[in-house]
Amino acid sequence: MMPRFLRQALTIARRDLTATVMTPTFLLFLLSPLLMIGFGVIGGLSGQAASSAGEARQQIVAIAPPGQHDALRTADRELRSVFTRDSARPGLRLEKPEAEPARQARTLFDSDTIEAAAVLYGPLDHPTVLRSAGAEAEGRYLAALAVQTLRAEHAPGTRSTPRFETVIRDAPTVSGRGQAAYFSTFAIFLVTLMLSGQAVGAMAEERSNKVIEILAAAVPLESVFFGKLLGAFGSALLFVAFWGTLIANLPRLLPGDAAGVLSSLSVAVGPIFPLLLIGYFVMAYLLQSAVFLGVGALASTQREIQMLSLPITIFQFAMFGMASYAAGNPESWVAIAAEIVPFSSPMAMAARAANAPDLWPHALAFAWHALWVAITLTIAARLFRRGVLKSGSPKRTKRAAA
Amino acid sequence: MQELAVSASGLVKRFGERRAVDGVGIAVPKGLIYGVLGPNGAGKTTTLRMLLGIIEPDEGERTLLGSRHPRDMSDHVGYLPEERGLYPNMKCREAIAFMGALRGLPWATGRKRAGELLEGAGLGHAADDKIRKLSKGMAQLVQLLGSVVHEPELLVLDEPFSGLDPVNQERLELLIRGQRDRGATILFSTHVMAHAERLCERISVIAGGRVRFEGTVDDARALLPLRARYTPHHDADAIAAMLPADAVREGGSWRFTVPDGGIEALLVRLIDAGHGISGLSIERPGLHDAFVRIVGAEALADQPETIA
Repeated sequence: MMPRFLRQALTIARRDLTATVMTPTFLLFLLSPLLMIGFGVIGGLSGQAASSAGEARQQIVAIAPPGQHDALRTADRELRSVFTRDSARPGLRLEKPEAEPARQARTLFDSDTIEAAAVLYGPLDHPTVLRSAGAEAEGRYLAALAVQTLRAEHAPGTRSTPRFETVIRDAPTVSGRGQAAYFSTFAIFLVTLMLSGQAVGAMAEERSNKVIEILAAAVPLESVFFGKLLGAFGSALLFVAFWGTLIANLPRLLPGDAAGVLSSLSVAVGPIFPLLLIGYFVMAYLLQSAVFLGVGALASTQREIQMLSLPITIFQFAMFGMASYAAGNPESWVAIAAEIVPFSSPMAMAARAANAPDLWPHALAFAWHALWVAITLTIAARLFRRGVLKSGSPKRTKRAAA
Repeated sequence: MQELAVSASGLVKRFGERRAVDGVGIAVPKGLIYGVLGPNGAGKTTTLRMLLGIIEPDEGERTLLGSRHPRDMSDHVGYLPEERGLYPNMKCREAIAFMGALRGLPWATGRKRAGELLEGAGLGHAADDKIRKLSKGMAQLVQLLGSVVHEPELLVLDEPFSGLDPVNQERLELLIRGQRDRGATILFSTHVMAHAERLCERISVIAGGRVRFEGTVDDARALLPLRARYTPHHDADAIAAMLPADAVREGGSWRFTVPDGGIEALLVRLIDAGHGISGLSIERPGLHDAFVRIVGAEALADQPETIA
């Protein structure tokens, strides 16, 4: 016979299990890993893309007369067999020499379209190799490429004496922007991840202390929802202000060169960027919180709220995945999609601010986000009215008399 | 015709297959205390919520303070829901001011009035206490004060007396009368007849989602015949034969329904038979009995009884 204690415990367990499993929320909870796998693929891709964003875009350039291009290409192909996938050097780009190759080479480093790690110009037996800081290997590779090309054309013993020069850039690099873009996306994601989840329980609290009937009787539900959203946002803003101030003052406390690294993260839109970043944080927060508020309002128990937190986190990661992929690949269709999908848009647009100088898309984006905050809240209020306050009719005869 | 604070006709509300409210109509004249009576689950709360526009009816029309969109008038309405709820961490004064602010009353005015109202209700000492510290009855009074702090034209109270001890029930009755004297219309639901009997100028009895009776309390009581309580001077079993068939002996007295032709003839016969009269009272049955009769009749007849 079953011990009394166990039987009692099983009675409780049985109720709890059915109470958990027999809810629609559990289905969402159960299936959320599926969503995670789907979006996680994007997220994984994007993480990879973002970290390799700089390297992938880098190129090495050889400025040589068209006659030598084929020989250079052949030599490059042969030399590349040395590299494994991980140690591969940036791809080779060949350019025709202009009137002043030295100047031409120098300007390549400030180009917006390509990002040169190293540039070779001049005769192959006495080439000059310009390389950016940290691109020693790329420079030597170009020198080796010159020797290899010469030996293929002339005699195996031919020598080449390269001259190396390190170049300091004037303009921010494209990959520097890519990093700034990724950094902004990540910052917004991190802050919204920490803060917007709080909105889930807001309406549940009202329902458990039964104030909702008073609120619903006195003011429109839309106002209740928007008020909840603003209230949560206020506390989020305090949080951000506190940590923002702390972090903003951090560079002063850090050793000098660390501060230099922070300031080297450069952006395309210029000094307005911090404002845009704050604006997009606000929008990201409002949009995501509005969704969570609405979803949380439909949950009837604390248990359901807890179960919702997993799908919610996954949703946030998915949006971040899209946006960070967009940060690494500003021209891709995923980027366009991430900028249009309202819930990833703030993060993707912050990345865009780092990547592209145009300002008008941001004005458009803010209007778009505000519209979606309104749409989300309206839908949330409707669902709440029907599902929880039991209003709305089963058939569509509502307001026929009004 | 008297101006109406609330009117509705043909209100229907379905929850799934069940018709919780099935064609309810109501007309509440301004300045009156009006009771909606009915057994548990009769559809009282749903009716009130539809009248207030918290939920939309599936069919029918309603007008609240002259507006066909009840929500537009929400600043002029006070409402005590059946399920009481206050923020446990709020102080009484703040909770009352908050409820006023929801209805458009400035916070400062709300706080000031809250102090006065609490004082008036004998809760002045608790003004700065948190709601969680109050007893259930006290919290309920605070919520009621919160629903009148903005001096609404219409006050809707859903089962306001439930959960209150007799002293607090008395206070609540006073408060309701005070609101009426201020000029407000009060619409409240209850299944406790004693309050309705004392307070209401008109009542509706709802059962099974329909209106079974509408009229004054006296109208309702008049639905039942007069009852007599007779105490003979010399009691004897033989008296039973002389009294109407429904006579019941209670101690030394007899209770019976007064015959259609009046009680005088019966009294003459009793005196002649030498039983004498040492006590006699004739009274209308209470609202309680009338209510049981009205609601009980619902099972037999499906047509509402109306006395206007």
